[in-house]
Amino acid sequence: MNFWDVFLLKILEEEFWGVFLPKILGGWVVTVKVLLISIPLSTILAITLAVARIYGNKPVSLLAASFVGLFRGFPCVVTLLMIFFALPEIGVYLSPYWSAVLAFVIVSGSYQSEYVRGAIQSIEIGQSFAAQSLGMTKLQEIIHIILPQALRRALPGVSNEIIYLVKYSSLASFIGVGEIFAVSRLYNSLYFRPIDIFLAAAVIYMFMCTIASFIFKVIENKSRYPE
Amino acid sequence: MSNQDITLKVEDLHKSYGSNKVLKGVSFEIRKGEIKIICGPSGTGKSTLLRCLNLLTPPDRGHVWLEGEEITDAGTDIHKVRQKIGFVFQEFNLFKHLTALRNVSIGLEVVKGIKKDEAREIALEQLRKVGLEEHAHKYPGELSGGQKQRVAIARALAMNPVIMFYDEPTSALDPQLIGEVLDVMKKLAKEKITSLVVTHEIGFARSVGDEIMFMTDGRIIERGPPDEVILNPKHEVTRNFFRNITRLYERSEQ
Ligand SMILES: Nc1ncnc2c1ncn2[C@@H]1O[C@H](COP(=O)(O)OP(=O)(O)OP(=O)(O)O)[C@@H](O)[C@H]1O
Ligand SMILES: [Mg+2]
Repeated sequence: MNFWDVFLLKILEEEFWGVFLPKILGGWVVTVKVLLISIPLSTILAITLAVARIYGNKPVSLLAASFVGLFRGFPCVVTLLMIFFALPEIGVYLSPYWSAVLAFVIVSGSYQSEYVRGAIQSIEIGQSFAAQSLGMTKLQEIIHIILPQALRRALPGVSNEIIYLVKYSSLASFIGVGEIFAVSRLYNSLYFRPIDIFLAAAVIYMFMCTIASFIFKVIENKSRYPE
Repeated sequence: MSNQDITLKVEDLHKSYGSNKVLKGVSFEIRKGEIKIICGPSGTGKSTLLRCLNLLTPPDRGHVWLEGEEITDAGTDIHKVRQKIGFVFQEFNLFKHLTALRNVSIGLEVVKGIKKDEAREIALEQLRKVGLEEHAHKYPGELSGGQKQRVAIARALAMNPVIMFYDEPTSALDPQLIGEVLDVMKKLAKEKITSLVVTHEIGFARSVGDEIMFMTDGRIIERGPPDEVILNPKHEVTRNFFRNITRLYERSEQ
């Protein structure tokens, strides 16, 4: 090792956290931006898919079932790469950010929809009879009677899926979204300090998951009713 | 006797589930203010009849008129029809995620488009009528069976129906809770709320029923004033049925 190498290392050593920390926090902001849009949209898609499967006519129900079957079957990263690389082939150009959001909405929505579907089907038929006997239309029944009960039951499964989504949002780095994991990989290639860098990233993901669990616990408690 | 006095008219109603013929030609009518009782052994199609009458299940054949309008017509708005028929289920079927008050007001708000505050007032009034005003804020999970059924009656009444259907409203209740529900039903009968009641409570049938229709195997085989049908039935099946019921009834009375 010559003088310059040692000198450079010394500088980097001292500058590392000062440089890396702001960058990874910047990556965190990107991750949060991806999640804050993906999470609500994925849940809305999940509810739509589940309702379409159960209450839709044959073609609609089949379409929804195929959609879910497909995107539960594909590895998430494949769906992500297909959206980013294949959509331009048919003239749809999305930025890496929106490609990632779309992929996560589709994938997580498909997973979540299975929980919503199971929950809807677990609601006693008498609830539906009672709604109908008051003169409610199917849509009124679904919105006012079935979904409020079903979503309550689906909540533990759905929140689990969302917590998975928090973690696999790191896949967005594969298509060049500058989120936590992308920043981590970049700085590891510059500084080669994998333990520091990836541990820092992992701690941030864990922190987000903890926050998410806490929020879901609160929602679960707030939406509980005596049975 | 003008046609307007006939609230419900049923003519030659048929219903099958696959090859299982459940209703084999049922006809009767109910005038305004009348209380008609349907009795009959299990599986003879009593629930199916009620469900066909408010179109929860489509009948295969026959006609039904509600206040002179044929509801078995193809162009009928079934949601409008169901608003006019109050339905009380054996299993209560209260909306589990809603308080007693909201159970009663939700139909007013969602179906009738009544403003929240006004719906609340009407709901409270109905709950008062069944003696449950002070339980308005409770969820079904916090109510006894008898209280649940009274909320269910209030929920149906709040829609201001032209007729009430009761499908064995006390069969799912513990014996000591039956009385409070029957008391409410008797009170409503005294107010001349037109009703079609499937029940085996012969005390109730005799005290407020205008007529008993005895059903077996998809047909009404005997009908008449309650005392006559219960005490002096013409058919062997009816006699056996009421003999067994009376025996059970007397045992529970003791
Ligand atoms: N949705 C359905 N699909 C198929 N068969 C049905 C359905 N509902 C009722 N049935 C059948 O129709 C027949 C009559 O049933 P229903 O419930 O009307 O009898 P019920 O007189 O009300 O009897 P209970 O006193 O036990 O309530 C039974 O043989 C039942 O199995
Ligand atoms: Mg029945």
